[in-house]
Amino acid sequence: MINAALLRAEVEKRLPSAFMTYKPEYRGSIPTGIPAVDSLVQGIPLHALTEICGNDMASSGKTSLMVSLLAEVSQNRCCALVDASDSFDPETGYDAGINFPRMLWVRCGKVKTKFSPLQQAFKVADILLQNGSFKLIAVDISGIREHVVRKIPLSMWYRFSRVVEKHSTALVFVEQEPHAASCAELVLRLRTEPPRLDIFTGLDLKVEVLRSTKKPARAESGFFLNTQWA
Amino acid sequence: MFACLYVSDFPVQAALLTQAPDAREALKKSPIAILDGPANLPRVIALNNPARNLGIEIGMTKLQVETCGGVRLRMRSTADEDAGHARLTECANLFSPVIESPGSGIFLLDLAGTERLLGSTKDAAHEMSATAREWGFDLHVAVASSPDTALYAAISFAGITVIPEGKESECLARLKVDILPVTPEKLRVLHGWGIYTFKSLADLPVIALTERLGQEGQHLQRLARGQVKRTLFPVSPALRFVQSYEFDSPVENLESMSFVLNRLLQEICSCLIEHALSTNEVRLMLNLEAAQRLTGEKGEFYKREWKLPTPTQDTKMLFALIRLELERQTFVAPISEMTVEVIPIKPLTAQGNLFAPPSPEAGQLEISLAQVRTAIGGVDDMGRNCFGSPELVDTHEPGVFSVARFTSFADVEKSRKPGTTVVLRRFRPALLISVELKKDIPSAVLLFGKTRWAIEASGPWCSSGNWWDNTIAWAHEEWDVRLKTEGGFGSFRIYRDRIQKQWFVEGMLD
Repeated sequence: MINAALLRAEVEKRLPSAFMTYKPEYRGSIPTGIPAVDSLVQGIPLHALTEICGNDMASSGKTSLMVSLLAEVSQNRCCALVDASDSFDPETGYDAGINFPRMLWVRCGKVKTKFSPLQQAFKVADILLQNGSFKLIAVDISGIREHVVRKIPLSMWYRFSRVVEKHSTALVFVEQEPHAASCAELVLRLRTEPPRLDIFTGLDLKVEVLRSTKKPARAESGFFLNTQWA
Repeated sequence: MFACLYVSDFPVQAALLTQAPDAREALKKSPIAILDGPANLPRVIALNNPARNLGIEIGMTKLQVETCGGVRLRMRSTADEDAGHARLTECANLFSPVIESPGSGIFLLDLAGTERLLGSTKDAAHEMSATAREWGFDLHVAVASSPDTALYAAISFAGITVIPEGKESECLARLKVDILPVTPEKLRVLHGWGIYTFKSLADLPVIALTERLGQEGQHLQRLARGQVKRTLFPVSPALRFVQSYEFDSPVENLESMSFVLNRLLQEICSCLIEHALSTNEVRLMLNLEAAQRLTGEKGEFYKREWKLPTPTQDTKMLFALIRLELERQTFVAPISEMTVEVIPIKPLTAQGNLFAPPSPEAGQLEISLAQVRTAIGGVDDMGRNCFGSPELVDTHEPGVFSVARFTSFADVEKSRKPGTTVVLRRFRPALLISVELKKDIPSAVLLFGKTRWAIEASGPWCSSGNWWDNTIAWAHEEWDVRLKTEGGFGSFRIYRDRIQKQWFVEGMLD
């Protein structure tokens, strides 16, 4: 008679990792440059996929968070911004502290090719990820319509999450809604609060942790981002 | 011993090199003059002996020569002269590895150690003359113990001259001092003293000559006596790393081309490694099918150049770069010939900075950027790169930027510190909108098909520029407005174009 232990041994003999559970290791993070976010999630994880979400019709602060990340990384390492809708503004990016010589900006959809801007963005992200030399690859697809992004198969996100594990890179997608599901190690949603001041000096923002493999300090946190002139 | 090869009337002989050997020999017997100078007044700069016999002289104008009749006139061709010089260099290299070229069509050869190979100096001189004749040149050959003696003898005596050691002064005695490297002022002085030949200069007392003409006078006298001993300044042959392949039948598919391309690059890179060189510039030339050329359509010839940030000898990297480009291109005709050329430079020998932050490896980065170019294209409609490092332009005009090439060796501003602020998310191009004003302040904005009420508006911030040119002039009246939208509150930057009299939304503060 075959008991469970024998059966397990037989299966493991043929498929050695059949009963192993996959546990990704914690391998460092990069600070966002915004204390409220850093205290909430201890930075953006390396070797992992992160999603930053925010409504496209509201000043949610998702672009500011992404630029802040780029500014932090570009102080001593190279980073890349894959801009699917060519919406990055160099002037405000410079004021936010990005070291431009260390940032590769890829403007998708500027030349008519056989790929759509979204496909171009994913293809370029894959190329840069395979290169393995960029500390941060930010892919901004929040300008692409939601119903188009939703059609991206889950296998694509899974592939990205597996590839990024091998490299010391933080892969950050900026979008309107989260799509990567369990493939993302961290999912943040940002939203704007009603203005407290009559004078326009900045944005009152809230960041919420939708998903994290580590337990966040709190569920959400608020912070105020000043405008350049404030 | 040293030998000197001197091609008399070099421009004439170089011009005839393109002819077939029989035709060349026939032309050498006919009077030929080479003209150079402004198109309206070219003058004779070189001629052969039959032309001299007709009374033609250097410096005559084209009209004067034409009046003599029967003289073939040709305009000077530097390309022909360069080709002739290169050919003569190859010829001289057959006899000695150490050669010096003091001028066009003149070569000095160091014959030390070649006795067993070439025989006696006289035999060597005859061999050189015969070989040069086969290569299309009529030479004066002189052999002497010092290079300068051989040079003056070759310039002055036709045919073959062998000057035995110790007889230099005697052999050079009749030569004119004009051929010495002397300044016009000093030559006038020598002529004033009645010194016209090497012998008269050589016979002057050394101390008295030095007192009057200084060290230069003494040097001239030693040249006239054939006493100056020196080593040659060897010329190194110009290295060209070019490989070409002509297909038996024109190819259409990338696989066939890749196979040949890889082989050409391997040969070039092995040559680079042999010479301890590397390259940072690669050129690819493709000849498309001949039939295409006959029709005169565009695209019969394709040329592409790559400039790499760091020197390399890596065949795989160069192959990947070129292959990615070929994948991206569409040719209008099959390819009949492929040529690859690399520009050699010294390899990078400096050690990398141990304290510099890690950056992408240059070769790998180039391949990645080539892949990105294949995926998204090279430049946009405005002529800006589709990828690279953003650069600010020195202007007040909003939204103007340039994109520079991204390299892993770029210098950065060390003093810059990140400072988190709200950034603008641009709409490119700016979106046309309708704005409702109340007391000249925006109160409602028709955006994305809906009217949105402004909670707050700040402005106007006026700016303008390029007013001197209507085609590039701009004038904006900028407002920051906070609108109530579906997702909450949106802060938009809108502006009124004062030239077009229309409202646009520039971007959203996000």
